[in-house]
Amino acid sequence: MERIIFYSIALIMVVFAIASVTSRKMLRSVIYLLFVLCGVAGIYFLIDYNFLAAIQLTVYAGGIIVLIIFSVLLVHHIEMQLEIAKLSRQILTAVACMVGLGIFLTTIYSHEFNVVENSRTTTTADIGSKLLSYEAGGFILPFEVISVLLLAAMIGAIIIAKGAKLTGKNDKAL
Amino acid sequence: MELSSFLSMRHEILLLAITLLVLIGEIFIPENKKHSIVHMAIFLFGIHTITGFLPTVETSLFGGMFRTNGMIHFFKNVLNIGVFILLLQSADWLQEKVMVQNKGTEFFILLFSSLLGMYFMISSGDFLMFYLGLELSTLPVAALAAYETTNRKSSEAGIKLILSSALASGVSLFGISMLYATSGSIYFNDIIEMITSTDLTILGMILFFAGLAFKISLVPFHFWTADVYEGAPISIASYLSVISKGAAVFILMILLFTVMKPLMHVWENMIYVIAVLTMFIGNLFALRQQNMKRFLAFSSIAQAGFILLGLIAGNQLGTATIVYFVLIYIFSNLAAFGVVQAISLQTGKENIKDYEGLYRTNPNLSLVMMLALFSLAGIPPVAGFFGKFFLFTAAASEGYYLLVFLAVVNVTISLYYYLIVVRAMFLRKSDNPIPFFKNKVYMRLGLLITVIGILVLGLYSPLYDYIYNLSGIFN
Repeated sequence: MERIIFYSIALIMVVFAIASVTSRKMLRSVIYLLFVLCGVAGIYFLIDYNFLAAIQLTVYAGGIIVLIIFSVLLVHHIEMQLEIAKLSRQILTAVACMVGLGIFLTTIYSHEFNVVENSRTTTTADIGSKLLSYEAGGFILPFEVISVLLLAAMIGAIIIAKGAKLTGKNDKAL
Repeated sequence: MELSSFLSMRHEILLLAITLLVLIGEIFIPENKKHSIVHMAIFLFGIHTITGFLPTVETSLFGGMFRTNGMIHFFKNVLNIGVFILLLQSADWLQEKVMVQNKGTEFFILLFSSLLGMYFMISSGDFLMFYLGLELSTLPVAALAAYETTNRKSSEAGIKLILSSALASGVSLFGISMLYATSGSIYFNDIIEMITSTDLTILGMILFFAGLAFKISLVPFHFWTADVYEGAPISIASYLSVISKGAAVFILMILLFTVMKPLMHVWENMIYVIAVLTMFIGNLFALRQQNMKRFLAFSSIAQAGFILLGLIAGNQLGTATIVYFVLIYIFSNLAAFGVVQAISLQTGKENIKDYEGLYRTNPNLSLVMMLALFSLAGIPPVAGFFGKFFLFTAAASEGYYLLVFLAVVNVTISLYYYLIVVRAMFLRKSDNPIPFFKNKVYMRLGLLITVIGILVLGLYSPLYDYIYNLSGIFN
């Protein structure tokens, strides 16, 4: 049963992933991407990572997609279609992708992984205490570094968006 | 946690404190006194640089996620010195061009966050911290590259940097996930025990290497370099070419020499090919450049190729020579970028042709530039010679004679194009030379420190012995 669910989710994800990169309309690509992200959440549910699945749904499928849609709507004309690449270039890209996919798949399938018996489900309380622990296996340091990263990214975004508005008397452009 | 744990993280804590102080300063300093933020930031960073030299102990914190030892500590100090010189050199640019746009404080915040990311990256004890450090060190720089929002090329540089670095870190992350899949842990210490040479680990290592090779701008991952350097403000170009590159080389060296030591038979061949390609392509393209920034971009690609000679040795000598070379490279390249910065700020000229007759009008500047270029080329009395010489010794000690020969050929090519600039400055006459100008205090101090570095580092041999003793830790 699990197998059937897995393969149907996988099929949906692959189809929509291909649709997402081949669609020539920006907004449609984004919507296809939404289905791919939901599929990832489905796979997390399947392997009992309930918390991660919930995060995947709320943050990625919920937040990020809305953000992308907003930026597409703000920046582009929705009707704009991406141009079609030259046939020679299309073939070259396809061959390169196929070779890459072949190499990755053969290496991954030829590797014998250690199977870990992990029947225990992680609870939200576990994750919370891990996030704040500074012992081995704790994640307080990465947690704090991410906060600095977000601050820097936000300031960077503001400074670029602020543009060339000049202040005060010195209206000398760069 | 004890108090001593805080002391061994003092680089990070102090820098974060300075960043926040600057942010608070931006809020509370009144509009007409904003320019004092530049002085404040440089002063605070100077103190930070000096306190960095206080001795430290080898520690591992947060369950092994953060580690520090003599060598890592020393390298953080090297980065600090580099950034300090960079701040001195960009102070005038900040005052004259950026402060008037009311964007000066953010420059410091972004620059310091990026440096903080580098600290965490080189101190990382697991791949999670490594990756976060890498991102924190790259993202703010992309914003800084697009800083001159009125300049089309600057925006282009920012976009190019952020798109290609996103791709590179994605590739790197894929490689890390393969290493995690084979070993079941992200901690370096666990991976060292588990790692064996299988196809999947090799593929993971190659992908991981590609991500860092992008940061160091090795061929064939170098395409972003020249465009970004040309478009970005000069301070950021020099930050990318010196500090960012140095930190990436350092962490790559640590990981190759410790975690991926069992895969050495693969990565030594890989580095061999990349080193030859990088040196030749960097040098041959540098020959054709007219713009000083593009010229220095390709020269820094070629220099990265030389650094690989130390990496390929894979022993204590290799570690010592790489750190020593990066130290000298920081001084030499900052001197060159400093002169370009000074001239560009005064006249807006950035082409090699504009430098003709510079010696007659600005003898001091052209002497600094000459020393910097001689050091980059590796001409005996200056420090750059010793840096290159030791790198070649390291490669030769492992029997890579052909590689050393090819490197020497490349030194000759590079000598030619470095001398083109020297000839333009000293021998050519120009009808319209750059007029005489006097630099402000900060810029002069910044150039003076680099000149002292170039002249003294090569001759002061205890420094090399000190680095050599520290490098035993990673082998």
